[in-house]
Formats: sequence, C-alpha cells, structure tokens
Amino acid sequence: MPDPVLALLTQPEADGLSKVNLEAIGAASALASLLDREFVCAVIGSDVAAAASEAAERGAARVLTIDDDQLARAAGDVAVAAAATAIEAAGASHVVLGRGADVLELVPRLAARLDGACLMGATEFRRDGNDVLVVATIFGGAARGVFRLSGTGPRILSPAPAMAPAPDRVAGRGVDVEALAVPEIADRVTVEQPPAAAEGPRLEDANVIVSGGRGLKESDNYQLVRDLADALGGMAGASRAIVDDGWVTAVQQVGLTGKIVTPDLYVAAGVSGASQHMAGCANARVIVAINTDEQAPIFKYAHYGIVDDALEVMPELIRLAREAR
Amino acid sequence: MHIVICTKQVLDPEGVNGYALWGRLKVDESGRAFDTAGAVPQIINAYDEQAAEAALRILDDDESVRVTAITAGDSSAADVLKRCVAMGVHSSILIIDPEVASADGFRTARLLAATIEELGDVDLVLCGRQGSDYDQGTVPAVLAELLDSALVTLASDVRTDGDGVRVTRVLPAGEEVVRASLPAVVSVSNELGQPRYPSSRNRMAARRNPPLEKQAADLLGDDGPGVELVELFVPDVQGHGETIEGDSPAAKAQALFAKLTEAGLLDA
Repeated sequence: MPDPVLALLTQPEADGLSKVNLEAIGAASALASLLDREFVCAVIGSDVAAAASEAAERGAARVLTIDDDQLARAAGDVAVAAAATAIEAAGASHVVLGRGADVLELVPRLAARLDGACLMGATEFRRDGNDVLVVATIFGGAARGVFRLSGTGPRILSPAPAMAPAPDRVAGRGVDVEALAVPEIADRVTVEQPPAAAEGPRLEDANVIVSGGRGLKESDNYQLVRDLADALGGMAGASRAIVDDGWVTAVQQVGLTGKIVTPDLYVAAGVSGASQHMAGCANARVIVAINTDEQAPIFKYAHYGIVDDALEVMPELIRLAREAR
Repeated sequence: MHIVICTKQVLDPEGVNGYALWGRLKVDESGRAFDTAGAVPQIINAYDEQAAEAALRILDDDESVRVTAITAGDSSAADVLKRCVAMGVHSSILIIDPEVASADGFRTARLLAATIEELGDVDLVLCGRQGSDYDQGTVPAVLAELLDSALVTLASDVRTDGDGVRVTRVLPAGEEVVRASLPAVVSVSNELGQPRYPSSRNRMAARRNPPLEKQAADLLGDDGPGVELVELFVPDVQGHGETIEGDSPAAKAQALFAKLTEAGLLDA
C-alpha cells in the first residue's frame, strides 16, 4: 500500500471535530482520492476522544491520537514535536492541516524539520505523477500560483476555506485508534496569559454579518454597523483599515489576515473591497455593498449594490429590520 | 543585544489588486510574473516595515541594542534596506539572489539563516508575518528551525525581558501573552500599529550608509526542500451584480430590504 495522506487535526472541540478540522479532512480525502491513497487522521490535543471517534466516522482508514494537556495549545516546541511524531507514525507522504491561527507555525516548521516542503492557501490539487501540483491564492486573492514542491520528506499542505467538503459521517463506523505518547521535551515558549475565552457567538459561525470600513468616516458611525447587525440577528465585522485605526478590535476583522467567514448574507458598508478583505468574505452566499464610490472594487463582488452614502442608507435599513422582527 | 530584521521587496499588492479588479492583470511570457511590471511599484513588504518598527521600539528603550536589516533579492531590493536604515536601523545586508522569482521561501530562509549565522551574535530575529505577494508566511518558521531558535508568530507587541522576549500575539480568540527564551524568531502582524515615517534628514543619511552585499551562491550549502512557482494565473471575478436604484438613500434601502426579504435571507 502506498504511503497515506494524513489529516492532522489540532485543537478539536470537546464534543468532536472543529470546522477547521473538517476542512483538513475534506482536503485530505480529496487529495487521497486524486493520488489513489488511503487517508488517515491524527488528532493531537487535550481530551481528544470524541474527535477521534468522529474522525473514524468521517472515513479515516486509521486514527492516531496524542492526548495531553500541553497540546491544548497548537503552537510551540511540544506541539511541533508531537505533530512530527504523528506524521512519522502514520508514514504519510502528504499531510493536510486546516487553516487555524497556528498553522503559520506548524506547517512550515514541520516541513523544515522533516525535509519536506509546504504550501498554504491551497484552492486545488492537480495530480503530477505520484505527487501534486498545488494551486494557491496569492496577492491577497487577486491571483493564483501553481506550485511544485520538492524535498525528500512529506508535503505539508493547508487548504483555503471550503476547498472540499468533509465526507459524511457514518454513525458507529469504527477503526483502530492508536494512542501515541507526547514527546518529553521542554518548550522554549511559555504562556503567561492565555487568550481571553471568546465571549458569546463567533463571527465565523454567524449567518448574517454586517461589516464597516473607512467609508463610515469616523469611529462613532460604526454604531450603525452594530445596530444593523443587531436588527438582522447577525454580527458586526470590520475591514482591516478600521481595525488598524483602532475603531474596533482585531477579533472583528474580516479578511486574509483576520476571520474567514461564510455567512448567508454579508453586508459591506463603506468597505472598498480590497482583495485582502474579499479573501475573508468572498464565499458568502449573498454580498451586499453600500458605498459612495461606484468604482469601488466591492461592487465587482456584490450581488446587490447601492451606490450611496452608507451613513444615510443604514438608518432606514435598521428601521425596516427592527420593524420586521 | 543584536536584532536582525528580515525584509522583502514586493510588487505593491494594492496595485496588483487594482489591475486584477479591472481585468487588466496579465501574465507575461515567462508565465511566472505579471505584465504590469513598471506600472505597479516595488515596495517594502508592509509587514516587514512593522517588524522594523518593532525592533526600533526596542531600540527606543535601550540604546545599546544594535539592529541590522537583511534582504535577499536583485539589486533593486537595496531600496527596502535604504528604507529600514532611514527609519533608524543601523546597518543592512543585501543578498544578491538571481533565483528570487522562483518564490521559494525555503531558499530565502536558507540564505537568511546562513547570513545570520555569519553575523554570529544575533539574539532576536524579527520578520513580517508573511509576504504580501505570495502570502505563504513560510520564512519565519523555517528560519526558526534552521537556527534552532524559539518561534513566536503573529506578534502585536514585542519587548525584551532579561534573557528572553515577551510577546503579545493576536489570535482569533483574543490576545495571548507568551515568553520565549533567546535566541528567538518572532513574526510581526499588522496589529503592531503604524511604522514610523523617516525624516528627510534620515533619508539623506541612509544614502551614505549602503548595504553590505553578499552573493547567494556563497551562502547556500546543500540543497534542501523547496517550492517552485510553475505558473500564475488570474481567476475570474464574478461580474457586476444588481445595482439597486432609488430616488433617495431611504428609497434604495427599502428596495434592497424587499429584495433580501424576497430571497429569504432575512428569515433567521
């Protein structure tokens, strides 16, 4: 049997796989079919039993686990060593990690350590003999690059969001689960203050998002974004420009370097639509743009566009939405 | 303490974006570069400018700190080093690399690691979180592996702390504060804030402080893993959607609201 494709799953939820884990499984199983290989899963984290069962139900030929409190964090020397252990135990030729905050650390460090190469933001795999050419987003989504990887070790790949759906769950499907030990090493990075636990719903899960940008002119006007989001039962997002200007915190940033969101409705108010921003929301089902500049790039992506001042359009939208509730 | 900043010259991503959106972004005969070269300026990767700012904030608090900027590229990449020196960086090194178009972060990391090892006394390496051209973010992490250094990514604040460095990271869940032992590689994100603008006096001074030049071939040892850009292409952006008309902002809002209601988007 040729070497398998491994979905490397970090920081799963307590009751199963996370959205990011499912993206990794989707891309790994698509890649395995393309290369005629098996796909296997490794779950590394703290309290991974439920996630390991779900990985089996999603079609993994084999499941490896490393379960340790230190792996609640998916960055640092222990996490990298644990991931490398899992890749070697799986004997994988190709490894797929979903897009999480720590993927910027894990993907290239694993490639360098195992003498493989890596690629982030994959939108498509093309078969190239026993290997793949990887198509990835470049220039903030404005273009795509086709890349060939070289090296003696495994290819470490990370897909763009929604590249391929995870296989459906088959309840009760079981496979061998092999538990590996966490490597005993000291971490050169120690946590002094963990991230504040997220309060309430997450932007990534919202069905409706209203985002604001510099076209709102001043920070006080961002309240209109909050009010409209509220009235539509959604959440408020932001362009990077107004995060950099300090109107709102980075937690609300939509874009390549912020949150990648896929709501049913995305309303962009006073957002110009730079590719950096669109990389975070282009997969929304319906995009609405409100902007005074009819040349703004956002209108290229919008399903519905209003060329007008968002500050004058939004109050009426808020009134209508409140009335309809 | 000796801090190194790794920097890169990139095609202005805003310019590339503008060309792409109006359907004017074309690929040249090589298949690996855009035909807009010349019309879109080459600039310092903005994340690297923020890495330089992070280093200079450390220097502001401790005059004994020495800061060196390094880049790999063709001779025009000297411009990004000049920018760093004008911001307040003490000296700079230009690695002339004829293969820069291959977009191989592993090769770049090997060149940077060899240069940093030659310097011999580097405690802290600061990089931008990713290049705004290929968006890979490979270099900081590969560099940490090659130098056997601690790694911290996505910093919004970097401070020295005895024999270590204290870093605030920007994560989707909020801010995390970590401490890393030295030597360390830290990648800096845009949340660090505005980089300082060089005064004209400093820009003049930077002209009299040119980079030390090295050749890539002298720095590369054994082959390692890598990536190669085979070709690039411009995907179709979906065309214009429907423009909602109306006599007033309120009328347009009403027309939009009716459309969204009809499409069942407001049922939640």
